[in-house]
Amino acid sequence: MLQNIWLIPLLPFVSSVLLILTAGRLPRRLIAIMGAGSVGLSALIVLAVGMQFMELQTPYSLTLWVWMQVGNFAPGFSFYIDQLTVVMLSVITGVGFLIHLYSTEFMQDDSDYSRYFAYMNMFVAAMLILVMADNLLLLYLGWEGVGVCSYLLVGFWYKDPVNGAASRKAFVVTRVGDTAMALGLFLLFTELGTLQIQPMLEAANSRWVTGDTIPAIAALLLLGGAVGKSAQLPLHTWLPDAMAGPTPVSALIHAATMVTAGVYLIARTHGLFLLAPDVLMLVALVGLFTLLLAAFTALNQTDIKRILAYSTISQIGYMFLALGVGAWSAGIFHLMTHAFFKALLFLGAGAVVHCLHHEQNIFKMGGLRSKLPIVFWSFLIGSAALAALPFTSGFFSKDQILLSAFELHGTTGISLWIGPWLWAGGLVGAILTAIYSFRLVFIVFYGEAKTEPDRQPGWRMAAPLSLLCILSLIGGYFVLPLASVFPTVAQHQVSHLVEGISISIPLIGVLIAWLVYYKHSLPVEGFTESSLGKALRNFWYSGWAMDKLYDTIIVKPYTGTANAMRGEWLDRIYHGIVSLCQGSHALLSRTQGGKMRWYATSMVFGLIILVTLLGWVS
Amino acid sequence: METGIQALLAPLVVSIVALILMMQIAFKRHAIVSWLLGCTGFILAILALKPMADIVPKMVTPLLLSDQYSLFFSALILFSGLITTLLAKDYLQNRRGENEEFYLLLLLSSLGAMILVSATHVASFLLGMELLGVALYALIAYPERGQLPLEAAIKYLILSGAASAILLFGFALIYAVLGTLSFVGIGQALTQPILEDQQLLILLGTAMVFTGIGFKLSLVPFHMWTPDVYQGAPVPVTGFLATVSKGAIFAALLRLFIDAELYQYQGLMLSLSVLAIASMLAGNLLALKQDNLKRILAYSSIAHIGYLFITLIVYGVLQQPGLAVEAATFYLSAYIITSLAAFSLLSIISSNISETDLDDISHIQGLFWRQPMLALMLTIALLSLAGIPLTVGFIGKFYIFTAGIEGSLWVLLAALIIGSGISIYYYLRIVFQMTMKEPAGGSGAANMDPNSVRLSVLSKFVVWLLIFMMLYLGVLPQTLMEYLGGLSL
Repeated sequence: MLQNIWLIPLLPFVSSVLLILTAGRLPRRLIAIMGAGSVGLSALIVLAVGMQFMELQTPYSLTLWVWMQVGNFAPGFSFYIDQLTVVMLSVITGVGFLIHLYSTEFMQDDSDYSRYFAYMNMFVAAMLILVMADNLLLLYLGWEGVGVCSYLLVGFWYKDPVNGAASRKAFVVTRVGDTAMALGLFLLFTELGTLQIQPMLEAANSRWVTGDTIPAIAALLLLGGAVGKSAQLPLHTWLPDAMAGPTPVSALIHAATMVTAGVYLIARTHGLFLLAPDVLMLVALVGLFTLLLAAFTALNQTDIKRILAYSTISQIGYMFLALGVGAWSAGIFHLMTHAFFKALLFLGAGAVVHCLHHEQNIFKMGGLRSKLPIVFWSFLIGSAALAALPFTSGFFSKDQILLSAFELHGTTGISLWIGPWLWAGGLVGAILTAIYSFRLVFIVFYGEAKTEPDRQPGWRMAAPLSLLCILSLIGGYFVLPLASVFPTVAQHQVSHLVEGISISIPLIGVLIAWLVYYKHSLPVEGFTESSLGKALRNFWYSGWAMDKLYDTIIVKPYTGTANAMRGEWLDRIYHGIVSLCQGSHALLSRTQGGKMRWYATSMVFGLIILVTLLGWVS
Repeated sequence: METGIQALLAPLVVSIVALILMMQIAFKRHAIVSWLLGCTGFILAILALKPMADIVPKMVTPLLLSDQYSLFFSALILFSGLITTLLAKDYLQNRRGENEEFYLLLLLSSLGAMILVSATHVASFLLGMELLGVALYALIAYPERGQLPLEAAIKYLILSGAASAILLFGFALIYAVLGTLSFVGIGQALTQPILEDQQLLILLGTAMVFTGIGFKLSLVPFHMWTPDVYQGAPVPVTGFLATVSKGAIFAALLRLFIDAELYQYQGLMLSLSVLAIASMLAGNLLALKQDNLKRILAYSSIAHIGYLFITLIVYGVLQQPGLAVEAATFYLSAYIITSLAAFSLLSIISSNISETDLDDISHIQGLFWRQPMLALMLTIALLSLAGIPLTVGFIGKFYIFTAGIEGSLWVLLAALIIGSGISIYYYLRIVFQMTMKEPAGGSGAANMDPNSVRLSVLSKFVVWLLIFMMLYLGVLPQTLMEYLGGLSL
C-alpha cells in the first residue's frame, strides 16, 4: 500500500482538473460524486496506509521523479511519510471528506456547483502535497497552492466586491509571511546546500550549535511564513475577513487544515527551532498573545462566523504555545482535536445560516434548540470540546498544553521562569473560551425565537455533523504515535492543585456564561453600558483595532507616499524605463519599413561590423 | 555500403516518397492522396530512425555523419514536418488553388534540413541549406491569392540568396587559405601557424560565414527580413520556417562550432556576444507594441536566437562543456515544440473562418469567451515562450541560465533577464486581449458564431499532443534531459 501513496493527492487533483475542463457541463449528481468521492477514496487509502504504518513504524519515502537536475540543484517530486504525516493526512482527508459531503447539500442551490468542487479538490490536493513533501521546495508548492485555492474560495461569490476585497486581503497578508518563508528557504539552501527536510535538519545539527545566529535567522524567517498562514500575531487580520467564503470553506480551510499549516511547518522543522531557543520562546509568546487577543475579540463579536474565526485564531495560538514550550506532540494533538470540533462548529454554523435565510447575526437568532435539534446538539458538543470541558477531546489536548507550559524548564533567559506565567495566560484564555463559546450556545439556541428556520438539514449535512460530534467527544482518547518523530518529553509531575485549577477553570467559564446570557442574573449591564465598558467593547469588537492600526501605520502612509511620489523623481525613473522601451521600440520599428534595399544594406552593414569587431580584437 | 544505406535510411525514405509523390501529381492530381503520401513519408521516415539508431555513429562518405545528435534532430525535423502536414490539410482545404505540391515541398525541405544536421563538411552543409531554402521560397509563395505571400517570398528569395552567396564566398576564402572544407579539418588547420596576410582572409571569411548563418537564423543585424516573411507566409509555413529551418541551421552551426573548435577564438566570441545581446534586446523591443501576431512571434524568435547563442559563447568557458550542448539542444527542442503549438493554434484559428490569415491581435479579442479551450492552449504556449515554470520553456531558459552562471557571463545574463522581462509584456498582452470582452460589431474570430469554428479531429489531436508535450516536459523534463546529456558531439 505504501508505494501507492502518490494516489492520495492525485485523486482529488485529477477530479479537480476534470471539473475545470468540463466547466460545469456535467450533471450535478456526477459533480458531487467526483468532488466528494475523490476525497473519500483518498481517505480510504490513508486509512490503509495508516494501518500498515502502525506495524512498520519507520519513515517511508518515495521519489516519484526528479524534477530537473541542473548542476547541484535537483529538487525531487518525493514524498516522506512518518507518523506526523499520517496524522496530518488523516485529518485532511477524513475531515475533508466529511466537509465535502456536507458541501454537496450546502451548495446545492448554487449555480457554480462545479467550480466550487474544482477549487475544493484542488485545495485538498495542494494541502496533501504540503504535508507529504519531503523537501521544502515541494512543500512550498503545496503552501502556495493552498494559498491560491484559499484566495479563490474566499472570493467564491465574486460578484459582491466585498468578497473580492476579503480574498485580496487574505492573499496579500499571507504573502508577507510567504515572502519571509521564501527567504528562509533561500538561506537554508545557500547555507546547507539541500532542501530535503531530513538531510537538511541533520546537516543543520552537525553544522551549527544551539544559539548560533544563522539557524536563528532561518527559524525566524520560517516563523514568519507560519504566522502568516496560521493567522497569528501580527499577521492574523486576514482570517476574520476570510469568512466571506462559503461556510464549508471556512470549516475546511480556515479552521481544520490550511491555517494549521504553520503549526505543521514548525513541527516538521523542529530540529531547526531547537537550535534557536530564543526563536522558540518567541513562538510561545506569539501563541500566548494571539490566544488572549483573539479570545477577547471573540467575546464581543455578533457575527456567528466571525466568533468562530477569532476562536480559531485563539486555538491556533494554543498550538503555537505548545510548540514554543517544546510540547510538540501536544501541539499536534490539539491540531487534530481542534480540526474535529472546529469543523463541527463551522458546519453547525453553516447549517444555522443555511436554514435561516443566510442570517449571520447571533442576536437575530434564538430559541433554535427545539427547531434544529441536530444542529443544537452539534453546537453543544462542539462548544463543550472547544471550552475543554472534562472528557471531551479538547480537554485532553488543551490540558496537556497547559501542563507542559507550567513545567517549562528552560536553561537560558526568560525561559527559566516564564513557564507558570504562560500557564496562567493560557488559563485566562481558557476561561474566556468557555465564556464566548457558551455565550454563542445560549444566545442562538435558547431564549425567544427571532427568525424561523425554513428548512431542516438533510442527511448529507446531518451525517457529517453526527460523525464529527462523535469524533469531538472521543477524539481525546486517540493515542497519537508521535513519540518517534519528536524528542521525548518527561511525564508531567505537577501538583494536584495545578491540575485541579486547569480542570475547573472552563467550568467556571461556562457558569459565568450561564449566569450572564441565560439567567441574566449577573449585573454586567452596569459595566458594559458605562462609557468605559462601551469603549472597551468597541475596542475588542474591532479586534483590538488592529485593522485600523495597520491602516494607519502601513496602508495610509504607503498610499500617501505613493500619491505624494506621483510625478516625483522616483516615479520618473519608472516612467523613464517605460519611455525608454517605447522609444527604442519606435526607433527600431522605423527600421522595419518593408523596403528591401534597406534590409540588404543593413546586412552589409552588419558584415562590416563583424569584420571590424573581429579585426579589432585579433 | 549496406550499412551506409542503413545509416541514411530516413533521408532516403523521404527522397523516395518525394519521388512517388511527384509522379502521382504528374499523373493524376488528388489532394487527399497527396496528403496521405506526405504523411506516410514522414511517418515511415520516423520509423526508419529506429534501424539507424542501431548502427550509429557511422560516417557515410566524408560529407555526412549519422550519430545520436543527427538522429535526435532528424526526429525533431520529421515530427515538425508531420505536424505541419497534418495541419496543412485543414488550412489548405478552405483556400482555393491546387494543394498537392505543398506536401512535396514540405518533404523536400525536411530532407534538406536532415542533411544539414548530419553535415560534417561545408559541401553537405551548403547542399542541405539550399535544399531547405529553395523549397521554402516556394512554400512561402504558395497561396495563389493575396499580395503578401508573394512579396514575402521574393524578399526572402533575394535576401536569402545574397546571404547564401556571402556564406559561400566566406567558405571559399577560408578554403583558399586552409585547403580543407571538412569541419574537423578546418579546426585543425586553424591551429597551425598562419601567415600574417592570410590571417586577414580567414578573418574576412569567418565574418562572411557568420553573416550568412546569422541571416538564416535572423540574428541582429541580419534580422530585417524576419517579420515581413513570417507575416507574408501562410501560417503553417511560418511555423515550419520557425522550427525546422531555424532549428536545423542552429544544430548544424553547433556541430561546425564544436568540430572546428571555434570557441577558442576570443575575437569571435566577443563578436557573437555583441550580436547575441543586440538580438535579445532588439528582438524583444521590436515585439513590444506590435499588433500582428505573426510579427510578434517573428520578433520573439529573434530574441530566442539571442538566448540560444549564449550556449555557444559559454561552451569554451565551461569546465564541463557538455552542459552547454545539453542546454542548447534542450532549449531548441523546447522552442520547436512551443513554436509549433503557437503556430498550430494560429493556423486553426485562421483556417476555419477566412481566406486570409487572422493574425491581427484584434482578431483574437474575446477568444476566451467563445473558444475557451483554444484560448487556454494559446495561453499555455505563450507562457512557455515566456519561460514560466511548469512549462517546457521554463526548463529551457533555466538551463541556459545555469550554463551562463557556471560560465560567469554576467553581461549576457543581464541581457537575458532584461529581454525576458520585456517579453512578458507582449506575451501577456495577447493573453489579455483574449480575455477582454469582444468589441461590438468588430470583426474577428470572437465575433463568429462559436459553432462555426469547427476543430477537426486531426487538429484537435495535434494541438492536444503539443500542449501535452509542453506541460509534460515542463513537469517531467528529466528523461529528455538525461537523453540529451548522453548526446555526444
